[in-house]
Amino acid sequence: MSDCQHEWEMTNIQFGFVVFEKCFHCNELRTYFSVEDHPILGDVYREGDCYWNRMANAQSIRFDLVCKKCSHIESFSDLMGLMHCTGCLPDCEVDVQRRKLEAEKTWIVVAFGFLPKAKTEPIPQEKLDILSDYFNLKRDTSRSRIKVLPFNLIEDLSRCRGDFIHDVDMLSQELPKERKPLF
Amino acid sequence: MRRAFMTTKDLVEKIDLKPLSKFAHRDVDGVFVSDMVSDVMAGAKSGNLWLTVQTHKSIVPAANLVDVSAIIITSGKEVPEATVDLAGKFNIAILSTELPTFELVGKLYELGLGKK
Repeated sequence: MSDCQHEWEMTNIQFGFVVFEKCFHCNELRTYFSVEDHPILGDVYREGDCYWNRMANAQSIRFDLVCKKCSHIESFSDLMGLMHCTGCLPDCEVDVQRRKLEAEKTWIVVAFGFLPKAKTEPIPQEKLDILSDYFNLKRDTSRSRIKVLPFNLIEDLSRCRGDFIHDVDMLSQELPKERKPLF
Repeated sequence: MRRAFMTTKDLVEKIDLKPLSKFAHRDVDGVFVSDMVSDVMAGAKSGNLWLTVQTHKSIVPAANLVDVSAIIITSGKEVPEATVDLAGKFNIAILSTELPTFELVGKLYELGLGKK
């Protein structure tokens, strides 16, 4: 175990898209990161028994964190994105945590791994703590702090109305529409 | 930490900026210009002013994550009420101006922001 008091900064930053695909046969959802210039929506293809349809793209980034002091790199290639909790489900553990922590001036964000892998192998809490440390090192923590929570605390993914922090409709002058439920 | 020499209050008074959200004034340290929230999450620093024409709700949690001192919406873009309300909840300043981004950058530079 390193004794270094890590000071994290972003490295290996890659701009691209998180692509959401849904199978019309089994209703499974999967997501992946693409560095295509503009992934085409509506593209349908067959893979075994599944018929995958590209439902949505979200402009996003992929990155790792590197310690400025010891050069240790922590990979976040399995992080799909961060979600802002809107408090949509009062019994949801994320919302319970949100209300508790906001009273202590700590803002929460929810980390999502790529689906479906993240459902069975969520991003470990130690890595989410590193991400929280990274955001808190950058900010004036006397005013407020950030806490990154795992998405498996969400009570019911199919009813969650949280907002992913991502770029939407960058090529349009029109206001983006509300996000449709993806799950 | 570098001592800030300007606050959001100073800026509102010196430039024609219209406060939209409820917030407490705070120190300003540098400027970041981008219309991509992913770019802001990767590159903006605590205390930065963030200049953008984007007005959707995602700008607020992104600004909060990187602890910007204010979001300035340029070119007179109309900001949805939902975005303003969310900013108020996070105590994030949303200021708007009729100036295009380029002209506002010039004014901020003249005021000394961005000079080493």
